[in-house]
Amino acid sequence: MTGDVVALTAAVPDVALLADAFGRFFQPSTFARLVVEGLGKAAVYFIIAVGLTLVFGLMGVLNFAHGAFAMLGSYLGGVLVVVALAGGAGPIASIAFFVVAAAVVFAVMTVVGGALEVTLVRPIYDRTPTYQILMTFGIGLILEETTRIAATLRGVQPEPPWLKARGTLPGFLETRYDVLGANVRGFYVFEIVLGVLVAAAVWLFLTRTLYGLYIRAGSEDPEMVEALGVDVRKAFTVVFGLGTGLAAVGGVLLMWDPLWGASVLLNIEVLLYAFVVVIIGGLGSFKGTLVAAVVVGVADSFTTWLFSTGIVTFSGLSEVTVFLLLVVVLIVRPQGLYGVEEVGGH
Amino acid sequence: MTDSSERPLEVEETNRGTRTDEGWLSEYARDHVVHGLVIVAFLVYPVVYDLLGRSPLASEAAAFLPGLTFMIAVLYLGLFAMSFDFVSGYTGYLSFGHAAFYGTGAYAVVLATNGKIPGVPADTPFVLTMLLGAVLAGVLALAMGAVSFRLTGVYFAMITLGFAQVLYELVRNWGYVSPNPSEGATVDGGALEVGVPYVDSLGLAVGRLTGDSFENVLGTGFDVSATMTSYYALALVVVVCYFSMQRIIHSPFGKAMIAVRENEERAEAVGYDVFRIKMGAFAASAFFAGIAGALFAGYSRSVSPESTYFFLVTADALIVTIVGGIGTLAGPLYGTVFHEWLGDVLSTEDDGIATYLRETVPEGLLTTDVGGVTFADVINSVVDGRAPLYLGIVFVLFVLFVPNGLLGTVRDRLGGTVAERTGDVLERYRR
Repeated sequence: MTGDVVALTAAVPDVALLADAFGRFFQPSTFARLVVEGLGKAAVYFIIAVGLTLVFGLMGVLNFAHGAFAMLGSYLGGVLVVVALAGGAGPIASIAFFVVAAAVVFAVMTVVGGALEVTLVRPIYDRTPTYQILMTFGIGLILEETTRIAATLRGVQPEPPWLKARGTLPGFLETRYDVLGANVRGFYVFEIVLGVLVAAAVWLFLTRTLYGLYIRAGSEDPEMVEALGVDVRKAFTVVFGLGTGLAAVGGVLLMWDPLWGASVLLNIEVLLYAFVVVIIGGLGSFKGTLVAAVVVGVADSFTTWLFSTGIVTFSGLSEVTVFLLLVVVLIVRPQGLYGVEEVGGH
Repeated sequence: MTDSSERPLEVEETNRGTRTDEGWLSEYARDHVVHGLVIVAFLVYPVVYDLLGRSPLASEAAAFLPGLTFMIAVLYLGLFAMSFDFVSGYTGYLSFGHAAFYGTGAYAVVLATNGKIPGVPADTPFVLTMLLGAVLAGVLALAMGAVSFRLTGVYFAMITLGFAQVLYELVRNWGYVSPNPSEGATVDGGALEVGVPYVDSLGLAVGRLTGDSFENVLGTGFDVSATMTSYYALALVVVVCYFSMQRIIHSPFGKAMIAVRENEERAEAVGYDVFRIKMGAFAASAFFAGIAGALFAGYSRSVSPESTYFFLVTADALIVTIVGGIGTLAGPLYGTVFHEWLGDVLSTEDDGIATYLRETVPEGLLTTDVGGVTFADVINSVVDGRAPLYLGIVFVLFVLFVPNGLLGTVRDRLGGTVAERTGDVLERYRR
């Protein structure tokens, strides 16, 4: 029986395999491939997390409905692309329509988010943060169940990812290309491009617009912002709406992603991963979210590779690593990599 | 933003102590009238439900009352929710990784019974493996708390969640647990008994199929099924756990826990070792969560990572705690009753409203077509299996309008804990 006891530690590799893997690891092609794939994953993590950090930065509300918004976005985007691209379309048309779909979903969900904020979240700002967590979590539950009902009524299985929507991914993104000496699937490059675009857009919003100024100020010193006469209520509505829209755009991207796909399970999955990224980066910090997304994405891609080579036989390695990163960062640096110490405490 | 307006302090020593003429026993009885009534209600429920099932109201009872299997879930999930509230509601530290303790209790029982824990023989009585699981959960809580209690607010919630998710992924992928760990593990051996260890006649086997059943009890013509035996056996453990937790809450230690919730800096300044209080509360709460998990494993005889270690298990406890009343120990139990009742009547697993409507509504009405949608379609889509939707709506309404939950609101109205106030009222009528 003692042989079984060490099953967990049987993840210890044998030496020859390890040496071989080390050799392969330092081949430029492997290393480059892992980095590019890691950045692709990082782009996804960034897009699903950035809205959460914006909302927390200004409002101090940890939005537990974030995953549900992404889930809703994935289905809305899915409906749009299935309707438009079902007959097949050229590569340019596909990409163009994807961008249009993402923009439409962003607009719709921003309005939805703003409306939810006004009706449900606003009445409870004067309570402890716990109640905002509870309220947004309840909103997420209701959205998940209504989506489940709607999907079932339309004959779409809510639980395994929606294959028809995923099937509209144009073929040229599925094939592999040589990028910087690495052989990677086109979709990772697409994700990176999209991630950079979203990051640039959010950065411009934060640095060049009035509401961006409010958010940056609010994440430093919320009371001072209020004291200076900013209409906080309006700012809260706008930012909650934008955070919702960004989550939904993330959802649209996940709909095409072979590792995720549109399903009601996104509610919890997106929520957990977005939390990890946002907490590691520091709640309310844009820069932190960006850096944390890269750290988590690259860690994910390397640990997935370690498992796929058979060096580590433990199948949950990448998930465990991601959540361990969260725990370790919280122990070593509770406010996250770039967080402000006061935010999010009592 | 102090909590004092939200949750009433329980430091109401009111006008006790003035009644020195009474014996301690009568005072004790006076304080526990409500507890007694609740226990009696739980005791007679299966009998009443059984009798209703034979009356002309049988189909109504089956449709609108929770079945016995759901009431058993109330027991172990209710205990888990109470343990969650014990730390989250009384010290103010949201334990978002509480599922880790529930899972540890559950897996400890399954692994120990299957002889997979070194040093623990496979035939160890269930009561002992249950305690083992609970102690392991408590030790785990001490380890988690040692690093987590340096944090507060959402960061504490997130680090406990992180720990629980790490354990969830480990258990889900650990081949030692079972050949297919992501599906969970099952108990291989015979029935598990709640009772005095090593004394066969003082034990009741639990389980839907494996439990003890008694026919024609005491010549009354009344049969006690295996499910009913499990219900009473589990209820016994839950009652003991409830009173233990209640005892701790009302001890000086419990008062210190509330002090930490209301104002931690002040509690520290007054001289309390707040770190030790938080650790103690966390470990005790994990212990009872472990017992709840062990009861679940003992009754259902199969555990899966999704039903034990997963985040949604904690989320369910959180929901019922809010509905029942956070910061009231018994509240989460009532919240769980509501949760399970909703789950039962809105599913067809054990006859619910959907089944009832399909059987009683005339065929003509069922198939009446209104704009392409029939009444049967409406039943299928908005009633059958829709418990999570309505639970979500009720939950949001509670957060908005009844933030103190069921028991918390009642307590506010009465101006003290229900048990104490009822005693006082009775006192008035006795004179």
